[in-house]
Amino acid sequence: MSESTMKRHMGLRTSRAISNTAIHILLIVISVVWLIPFVCIVLQSFRVEGTGPVGYIIPKQWGLDNYSRLFETDFPRWYLNTFIAALVTAVFQTIIVLCMSYTLSRFRFKMRRPLMRIMLILGMFPGMLSMIILYRVLKDLGMTQANAVPGLILVYIASSGMGYYVSKGFFDTIPMSLDEAARVDGATRAQVLYKIILPLSKPIVIYTILTAFMGPWGDYVFARYISFGTSAGKNVAVGLYDWLNKDQISKNYTMFCSGGVLVAVPVTVLFMCLQRYYVEGVTGGAVKG
Amino acid sequence: MIMKKFLAIVLAAVMALSLCVTASAEQPFAGEYDVTLWVAEEIKELTQKQVDDYNATNTDGIKINATIEAVSESDAATQMITDVEAGGDIFCFAQDQFARLVQAGALDPLGVKASETVEAANAAGVVAAAKSGDVLYAYPLTADNGYFMYYDKSVIPEEDVDSLEKLIADCEAAQKYFAFEMNTSAWYAASFFFATGCHSNWTTDDEGNFVSVDDTFNSANGLVAVKGMKKLVDSPFHLSASSVNEFNAGAAIVVSGTWDFVTAQEILGDNLGVADLPSFEVDGKEYHLGSFNGCKLMGVKPQVDAIKAGVMHRLAQYLSGEQCQMERFEARAWGPSNLVDQQADAVQANAGLAALLAQSPYSVPQGQIHGSWWDIAKVIADDVKAAQDDAGLQQALDNYYNKIAELFKLDSSALLFVGAWNGWNNADQEETYYLKDGAVTLEVPESDYMGGRIVSPGNWDTDKGFLQVTEGKELIQDLGEEIGDNNIVFLAPGTYTVTWDGAAITITQN
Repeated sequence: MSESTMKRHMGLRTSRAISNTAIHILLIVISVVWLIPFVCIVLQSFRVEGTGPVGYIIPKQWGLDNYSRLFETDFPRWYLNTFIAALVTAVFQTIIVLCMSYTLSRFRFKMRRPLMRIMLILGMFPGMLSMIILYRVLKDLGMTQANAVPGLILVYIASSGMGYYVSKGFFDTIPMSLDEAARVDGATRAQVLYKIILPLSKPIVIYTILTAFMGPWGDYVFARYISFGTSAGKNVAVGLYDWLNKDQISKNYTMFCSGGVLVAVPVTVLFMCLQRYYVEGVTGGAVKG
Repeated sequence: MIMKKFLAIVLAAVMALSLCVTASAEQPFAGEYDVTLWVAEEIKELTQKQVDDYNATNTDGIKINATIEAVSESDAATQMITDVEAGGDIFCFAQDQFARLVQAGALDPLGVKASETVEAANAAGVVAAAKSGDVLYAYPLTADNGYFMYYDKSVIPEEDVDSLEKLIADCEAAQKYFAFEMNTSAWYAASFFFATGCHSNWTTDDEGNFVSVDDTFNSANGLVAVKGMKKLVDSPFHLSASSVNEFNAGAAIVVSGTWDFVTAQEILGDNLGVADLPSFEVDGKEYHLGSFNGCKLMGVKPQVDAIKAGVMHRLAQYLSGEQCQMERFEARAWGPSNLVDQQADAVQANAGLAALLAQSPYSVPQGQIHGSWWDIAKVIADDVKAAQDDAGLQQALDNYYNKIAELFKLDSSALLFVGAWNGWNNADQEETYYLKDGAVTLEVPESDYMGGRIVSPGNWDTDKGFLQVTEGKELIQDLGEEIGDNNIVFLAPGTYTVTWDGAAITITQN
């Protein structure tokens, strides 16, 4: 190797090293910025000295008091409310979305296109617009305040049929010939869905379950509106946020942090276990075969 | 015929019987009632006990089945206004939400007799906070929503607690913080203005609408106040915070209220000192820092059933009465508003309340204050900190004053005079004048159309014009027949004063 090529190689290597370092530094800065709030909340949840917000991050005394105190409050009830709402919604929304996508992907009927268009337009209206009228309806059904959970489930599930886009896109990529072969062998439409399509679309099913679970899990605005003035109907987001009211923050701030950590745990675990499918699912619908 | 007579007799009998029943019922309120109560988390159990006591002791035969929900007092108005119908029958709230609740029709006013009893039994400042116009809308619950000074005795020598300058110097010498919430809360920042005798008094009508303000923050005294404030906010060891948890984070002084007393004691133990606020010195004169003196109130929601409404008022009167306030003091150290309770030895001996009491000669009862005031006034401290000289300080006050003035211009009760004095064809350059105290002075130049009318902002059609003019009709011409409007059109150019008293317009030539 001549000297000049050596030099050129060196130049290339150094410039690559420099740009890599720069990119890594940038990424580190971004992730630090992004992670700081979470780290703060986790650290503060273990702080034993004082219960209000303070100007430093690392606790002077560590302990689990905040976690044990949580169980003396209504927190378990809120947690259960949220969990039930999220679980039931996840089950029903997944079923509805998958059936809807299958129908729109495989069946050809007269109103198919107009229906898809109507749903597209309906989806453009912000859901918040319907809040007041929904409140009125739920109140007449007796599903507000202490009975907020069934009311919330109803609202979460009601429009789930409209979220078919991603899974329909995925189903479209599965060749029709598979369906036809199964049909020739005597399978019903339902059997085609359960035995052929679904096993092939595991990522998209998991993605649907996850998004259906996450919506109610983190909902604040609607849950607060429906469950106002009662502790029994609150979900975790509403309940925890109320601890930040000015007359409660000095007593409950560290407990708020520990509550926040407990809320994040199941979602984090769920994501870690299903991450592989989730990424496939998000991008899955985008590829057209 | 016989049938008719018989029917008449039967009807008469039924009516007589029903009269008897009403008359014989000595206990018109007797019965069972399902009641939802909204109280603070920390007195939930106590309130249940108090309701049980009421059931056991009342002589009206009332039995209350209470559902007690924990709703923060600082959040009660928002929750209540969401749906008054489904809200708590009786609810507790901090007084700053009073006007919103009255406006939303969420408070049932007290009867004449109840008003008299409540007024006589409670501190005057608290009663004023529960009134809109002359109507008493709520029951006083506490009188402890004020602030004073917590300090660390190991850092601050006791002889320095009377002087703001010495306290700042002590904190700087010890490299410790002086926590006094200035830049983020008007509630605390107003302290300096009250010290120099400034006030901001707002007037509401019987429906809870704000009708006027008497505000002297932008004055010579106000300038003295911001000079004092500048001493504090310019210190590198000033911290704009109001939680005693700051003692854990390097603070030596925290200005806060009774609600922090237990926490402060836990943190500082024997080193905890409590005192009224210090004085500051400007141009050789001492000014003792003032404070707001606020309270918590208990409201009763309007009921469809008049009997139930009566019962709710009886229950609220009991729960806000002498005995229940004392129980709340004993359980949670809530400072009573009841005059008898305030004199009790135990109340007098409470260190936090004692400091509040020491501060009380300098405190201002927190009356009805416009919701926007809190946001407008809290930026003063930032402006003061940024100011380089006295002109900058004056600018801070001017900014404040202009925003307050704007509040009333935007208010729908304000009126304006819109006119096209400089000619009909220049109508797009209409001049708009705000009526100050119901009057406006107009310079009308010579032109082909010298007319205008009084309207509410945003509502051109609200005709308050020619037809309402009672005095000075000779100065204007009637175009009503001619072009079908209600405009006030002057006959000659000149300077006029137009006065509107709510019904009639008076015009005088100056």
